[in-house]
Amino acid sequence: MTSRPIVVRAETNPTESVAQCRTCGAGAPVDDHFCPSCSRILSLGRHGDYFAFLGVPRRLGLDAQDLERRFRDLSRQFHPDYFYNSPPAERLASLERSSYLNDAYRTLRNPGSRIEHLLAIEGLAPATADGGNATVPPSLLEEVFELNEQLDEIRELRQSGTDAAQLRARLEAATGPIQARRDEHERRMAELSERWDSLAPDAPAAERRATLDALRECVLERNYITNLMATIEREAAANG
Amino acid sequence: MGKVVGIDLGTTNSLVAYVKDGAPVVIRDASGDALVPSIVSFAAEGTVFVGREAQRRLLTDPGRTVYSVKRFMGRGIDDVRGESQLLPFRVSGDPGGVVRIGVGERDLTPPEISAFVLKELRRRAEEHFREEGEFDFEVDRAVITVPAYFNDAQRTATRDAGRLAGLEVLRIVNEPTAASLAYGLDARNHGTIAVYDLGGGTFDISILRVEDGVFQVLATGGDTHLGGDDIDLALTGLVLAELRAAGLASSLPMGTIQAIRKAVIRAKWDLSDTDAADILVEPSEGLPAGYRRPLARAEFERLIAPLVERTLSTVRQALADASLSSQQVDEVVLVGGSTRVPLVRRRVEELFGRPPRSDVNPDEVVAVGAAVQADILVSGRREMLLLDVTPLSLGIETLGGVTSKIIQRNSTIPASGRELFTTGVDNQTAVDVHVLQGERELAADCRSLARFRLRGIPPMPAGLPRIEVRFQIDANGILSVAAGELRTGVEQAIDVTPSYGLTDEEVERMLIESFEHAEADFDARLLIDARNEAETVVQATEKSLRRPDFDALVGAEVPPAERAGIDVALAALKQAMAGTDRDAIGRLTHQLNDATRHLAEVMMNRSLKEALTGKSVDSV
Repeated sequence: MTSRPIVVRAETNPTESVAQCRTCGAGAPVDDHFCPSCSRILSLGRHGDYFAFLGVPRRLGLDAQDLERRFRDLSRQFHPDYFYNSPPAERLASLERSSYLNDAYRTLRNPGSRIEHLLAIEGLAPATADGGNATVPPSLLEEVFELNEQLDEIRELRQSGTDAAQLRARLEAATGPIQARRDEHERRMAELSERWDSLAPDAPAAERRATLDALRECVLERNYITNLMATIEREAAANG
Repeated sequence: MGKVVGIDLGTTNSLVAYVKDGAPVVIRDASGDALVPSIVSFAAEGTVFVGREAQRRLLTDPGRTVYSVKRFMGRGIDDVRGESQLLPFRVSGDPGGVVRIGVGERDLTPPEISAFVLKELRRRAEEHFREEGEFDFEVDRAVITVPAYFNDAQRTATRDAGRLAGLEVLRIVNEPTAASLAYGLDARNHGTIAVYDLGGGTFDISILRVEDGVFQVLATGGDTHLGGDDIDLALTGLVLAELRAAGLASSLPMGTIQAIRKAVIRAKWDLSDTDAADILVEPSEGLPAGYRRPLARAEFERLIAPLVERTLSTVRQALADASLSSQQVDEVVLVGGSTRVPLVRRRVEELFGRPPRSDVNPDEVVAVGAAVQADILVSGRREMLLLDVTPLSLGIETLGGVTSKIIQRNSTIPASGRELFTTGVDNQTAVDVHVLQGERELAADCRSLARFRLRGIPPMPAGLPRIEVRFQIDANGILSVAAGELRTGVEQAIDVTPSYGLTDEEVERMLIESFEHAEADFDARLLIDARNEAETVVQATEKSLRRPDFDALVGAEVPPAERAGIDVALAALKQAMAGTDRDAIGRLTHQLNDATRHLAEVMMNRSLKEALTGKSVDSV
C-alpha cells in the first residue's frame, strides 16, 4: 500500500552537546569544526544552531560584513574542493559541513529568516510551514474581513467590464489599510529585535520569553499579510 | 596518476586546456587550432570521425553525422520533437525516456555521442603531453563545464559522457563561473562581475561577487535552448521560405539543407565585421542553380532581435535575484562565440551602461577556467575558491500535484534540505516520492528528475511515522537522496529511477560496448592520422607550386617532367583522401613526398641563399 507523500512539519532539531571525531575517536565540543585532538574535519552530526555554527552571538542585529567574512573564511576551511585527496569520511564531513554553512549563512543573512531561526532554536517555531495562510491572526480579523468585501466588489466590477486603471486604483485603496499594518509590523519587529539584543543573557526567563512571543506573533502576522498580498497580486496579474 | 585537464564541451565546438607551472595552456593542433567541432560522424563501414573530418562529412554523409548533441543531453523525446525536423539525423525515444539518436543501424544516447568528442579531446591532450616529452602522458581525470542553467539530468548526462570516455569527472563546473575564474586570474581582487555567455546552443547569465579570491555566485539564470543555433535556424528558415515561394524547396535533400545551413552561418560570421553579406549556396542537389541572397546587417538584426531580447529579460531577472541594479555591476564579461554578433554586444552595453570585456578569447575562456579549477582540485591550492549556486529550485510532488520546494534556486552549493513525511493509511509501508526541479507551482509544469519508492516503513497507525528524506546537492549541482524513519531509526531503501537519464547499469553496459567498438574507433583514428599527414604534404606542395618564382624554376632547376610527375602524384593523393582506404593514402603520401623531394631541396637552397645574401628571392 503506497500513496503520495504527506508532508509534516519538522520538529525542533535535537542538538547534542558533544560530537565524536570519526577519525581519532576523541570527543569534541559540538560547535567545533575540527577535532581538537587530531585536527581532522569533524562530521556534522545533528546541529541546530546557525548562530553558534558561525560563531556569532544569538542576536538579531548582526554586522552583515562580519557575517560575510566568517562565511568566506569557513568556506575556505570546509569546501569539498580542498578534500579531494582526503579519506571518504572526511570528504563526507566536508560536504555536510559546507552544505550546513551555506544554509546557515543564507538564513542569517536575511533579517526575516534570521528572526524565524532564532524563534525555532528558542523552541517557538511558527505554527505552520508556509507562514500561516490557513487561519487569520486575531488582530488582523477586522482588516481582512473588510478587504475581502472590497475584493468581492472589485471582482464584480471586473465582470461588468470596468476599465483596468480604475480597478487598479480600487485595489490599491482596498489594500491600503493592510499595507499600513505591514509597515507597522516592520517597525515593531525592529523594535522587538533591539529589545531582544539588549536583554542580558541572565535576564529573567519570563522577560526573554515575552519578547520572543511578541516577535513570533509579529512574524506570523507579517507572513500572513505577505502571502495575502501575493495572492491578490497574482489574481490581479492573471486578470490583466 | 595521470594528467588532469579542463574541458569545455560545447554545443558547436569543444576544447581542452590544462595548467602548466601555474599558468593555463590551451591545447592546439599542429595548425594552431584549439577548437574541435562537436560533430561525430559514423561511416557506414564502422569508423567514427570526430571534429573537422566529421564536419566535412556533414555535407557528404549527413544522415550519419551528428552535431549539436549537447541540446539533447538529459532530455526526453517530448522536449525535442519540435526542433528535430531540420536535423539530418534520426531522433527517437520512448515517451518519458531519454532521447536516442539513430545513425545507420546504431541507436545511441546523447552521452554516448558526447563521449566520442571527449575521447578525441583526451587523445589530443595525450598527444600534446607526449610531444612535450612527458613520461606520464595519460589523461585520466577532467573538469568538464556545463551551462549554468543545466538541470540535474543534463549534468548527470554530462558526467556519464565523461565516464564513457574513460575519464574520472572531478567536477562539473558552470561555464560562466569558469569564465570568471579565467578573468580573475589577472588580479581583479574584488567587485561584482556579470558574465553573459551566449554559446552555440545555450545562454547563461551569472552575477558574481569576488572578494579575497572567493568567487561567489549571487544569482544565475539562463535558457538551455537559446544560442547561435537559433540564429542559424532563423536564417535557414528565411532561405527555405523564399525557396518555397519560388517553388524550389519542395523536397530538398538533407545534404542541401546542410549546405544552406553552412551558407547562412558564413553570412552570420561576415556580418560581425561588415554591414552587408551574401548568403551564397553552391549549386547542389535539388538546387541546381545554387542560391544567392544579399543580407544587410539591419535585416539580420531585425530577424534576431527577439532572441537577443529574450537573453536580456533573463539578465534582468538574475540582477533582481541578486538584489542588484545593472549600474552596480563593476564588470561585464562576454563569453561564447555568439557574443561576436554586434547587436548582442550593443544591447548588453546599453543594459549595463558600460562596455563589456572580451579580452580573453570568448571561445577559449571557459576551458581555461575549467583547467584552473582542475588545478585547484588536485593541487589543494587555496588562493581561489568557487562558490556556485543551483540554478533551479528542487522540490517534491505533494498531495494535489503541487510542488513543495526543498532547496530554493540560487542557493549556494553544496546544499542540503530535508522534508518529513508521514503516511495517510494505517500500516502503510511504502511512500512514492517524485523529485522535481523548477520554479512552477504545479508538479506537471516542473522538470521530473526521478521517482522513487520509500520502502520498509515500520507498520504504524496513519500519521505516526516520521520519514525524513534528505536531499543533498553536491558541488557539481547533482542530487542524491537518502531517507530514514526517525521514530524507529530504520533507514529506507531507495530505488531511484532517473526520468531522463541512464541508470548505472546502462552506463556500465555502454562502457563494455564501447570497448567492442574500440577496434573500429582505432581504425578511424589511423585513417584520420593518415589524412592529416597527407594534408600536410598536399599543403606544402601547393604552397611551393603557388610561389611567384615557381615558373622561372621550371626548366632551369626543375625539369618539366618532374613538374608533371608532381601534378600526377598530387591529384592521385587528393583522390585517395576523399576515400577511406588508409593504406592507399599512406602509399600516395609517400609517392608525393618522393616526387617533391628534389623540388624541396631546390626551394631550401634558394631560401638559404636568400638568408645569406639578405635579399628576397623576388629581388634576385
